[in-house]
Amino acid sequence: MDSGYYAACSALKTQTSALDIVANNVANVSTAGYSRKQPQFGENPPIVLGQLTFGTGVSLENAASIRDPILQIRIQQETGTQGELSAFVNAMQQVQTQFNNQGNDIGTQLSALFASISQLSTSPASIALRQGVLTAASNLASSISTTANNLESQQANLDLSVTQSVDQVNTLTQQIAKVNGQIAALENLHQDASAFIDQRDVLVGQLSNLIDVSQIKTESQISLTTSNGTALVAGTQAFTLTTQPDPSGLEHIFSQGNDVTSQLNSGQLGGLLQVRDHKIPSLLVSLNTLAAGISNSFNAANASGFDLNGHQGADIFVPPAASGAGAAAGMAVAITDPALIAASSDGSAGSNGNLANFSAIHDQTTFNGETPSDFYGSLIFSIGNDVSSGSIEQQASQLVLQQLQDQRGSISGVSLDEEAGNLVQYQRAYDAAARVVDTVNQMLETLINMGTT
Amino acid sequence: MSSIRVNPNVLPDLLSALAQTRQQESTATLELATGSRINQPSDDPAGAAQIVSNRDLGSQADSFLRSITNVKTADSTLSSVVTALQRAISLGVQGANGTLSSSDRADVAGELSGIQQQLISLANTSYQGEFIFAGTATTQPFVSSSTSSSGISYQGNAGTNSVQVGSNYSLQINQAGSQIFSAAGGDVFQSVADLITALQTNSGIGNAVTAVRGAFDHVTSQRVFYGNAVNQLNAQQNYLNSEKVDLSNAANSIAGADIAKTAATLNQAEVALNAELAAMGKISQNSLFDYLK
Repeated sequence: MDSGYYAACSALKTQTSALDIVANNVANVSTAGYSRKQPQFGENPPIVLGQLTFGTGVSLENAASIRDPILQIRIQQETGTQGELSAFVNAMQQVQTQFNNQGNDIGTQLSALFASISQLSTSPASIALRQGVLTAASNLASSISTTANNLESQQANLDLSVTQSVDQVNTLTQQIAKVNGQIAALENLHQDASAFIDQRDVLVGQLSNLIDVSQIKTESQISLTTSNGTALVAGTQAFTLTTQPDPSGLEHIFSQGNDVTSQLNSGQLGGLLQVRDHKIPSLLVSLNTLAAGISNSFNAANASGFDLNGHQGADIFVPPAASGAGAAAGMAVAITDPALIAASSDGSAGSNGNLANFSAIHDQTTFNGETPSDFYGSLIFSIGNDVSSGSIEQQASQLVLQQLQDQRGSISGVSLDEEAGNLVQYQRAYDAAARVVDTVNQMLETLINMGTT
Repeated sequence: MSSIRVNPNVLPDLLSALAQTRQQESTATLELATGSRINQPSDDPAGAAQIVSNRDLGSQADSFLRSITNVKTADSTLSSVVTALQRAISLGVQGANGTLSSSDRADVAGELSGIQQQLISLANTSYQGEFIFAGTATTQPFVSSSTSSSGISYQGNAGTNSVQVGSNYSLQINQAGSQIFSAAGGDVFQSVADLITALQTNSGIGNAVTAVRGAFDHVTSQRVFYGNAVNQLNAQQNYLNSEKVDLSNAANSIAGADIAKTAATLNQAEVALNAELAAMGKISQNSLFDYLK
């Protein structure tokens, strides 16, 4: 009878604990990164009396968190891809707005310049038509320089985002190092650290969104590095990333004295750096090629003829640097007097012979082997293609991530139906155990009172 | 018993599906509003690049067409010159009639002087402030001169201009005034001036009329140049107009939104949106907890 009493009491205690676990699961139904816990019951060691074996009840062996560490790592990797692609697509979409062909873009202004030259050729001495050419030239110059300047300021904004992301990375790595310490401390005492493990998974997820992360698990702690081996967290130590501007003013990322900027190719930082260090600079180089090519060709065409005063034509556009650097941002018209356009091939005011040299630039394939208009078209293609393929990849990665999250949810997510079922089950078990205690109690009472009446 | 455990939290999936449907809806709305399926380069990168070239060619065709309308003027001027010379010839023939009195011949000579003034004025025709028979000079080409035997001297030059009216297609659009009006053997002003003198002096009228005929023939032959140019310009104008139609058709097939299809897409997106919203309204409202008393 003693063993029955003991068993029933152990059941009361165990079922109460199981109910506590249900309560905690229900409470955390909406907590991000929470892994549901499942009570694991174990039969107590029996007592052997002669030939009889009596059970001694139940105890809660473990409240195990249900999680799949491998899946968690896959989620973190995909989060990194997702972070990279969304940062890349967002930044490139802003770049793209500079190139929307809605009437006042570079392509339209380029066509307008050649149209104005064609008009001038029908009446080469007309000051109004000459003014038309100058206006078209200055519209084109300001369109190109505005685009280049906007790209540069976008680059500066991305630079700021890089610094902010690095700050976030540092905050997260410090938190992860701290949580690592807490987990180690608890596990050394053989206590349940699952709440901290969940928390760490969330933090590592956030970190993966920012920078590429690979995980090395050692005992109870994890060490984090980038895929190129830059240390982020080793056990309880976090390695701070620092930033330092390069000669052009863009912030480079340093880890323990080494410049790791070019090695970061995943996470938000990877996406930001790709646009800041590759896409925008290459667009600026293309714009410089276009601006320098147009400026130089028009200046050369003007120099081969005579202006309205009979003098050899001077520069129409401010001559760009020989290297082409800064040609786009600095593109401007050098003359204000429409008479200085050298339309004449022989010095007579009404000759339009030299305008053919201007018109020829339209078909001149000296812009990386293309005409100016085709060159601009290729630029549009490459920007559009970056945004469109980036978006497609982002959507694909979004789907993968969603599936992985679903999978994680199906393993670790709290289901209220399940919890309700468990709640009823544990409650019934508790009720039954209480009834046993009551019965044993009554029997003992009967025994104690035996013979007193 | 083992069954597949499903993710109990379907909200993120539904939210992402909802966001995607809303994206489809807004894309379709934008396409319908602009009538174009390429509203930014990423909508169709290759198409966007083609549109750049299409617009450039369209703008070029437009400017060639404008050039053509600007250069079609000299022909009508020359036709007036021809008419005036015809009148001079018939006046000369009339003056050569021996029965005319000297005062009658003086009247004829007076009318011829008027014709001479008309011819000078025609030779000095300007279009948009530029003299069309001055070669590539911008000064008035024919001015009175006491040193010239005809009383008129040419101040323009022998230069000519060509205008581009198609890609790799340039057309000479003028002849120097000296070549039209002052050619040897066909000098308009000299021959008319000589005829006036002949009538006034009543000598050599027949020869003078022959000289005017020579000038008439020369101007007529020069008109052929303008006639040819006008023909070529007209042909080019037709070509450019049809090229513009082609370009605009091409632009439409590259970027034009398929209205019916887009409207259907919009409709589908709206239906999907409603379904998703309804699904979201229903999920996770119920769990076993609701049934336990």
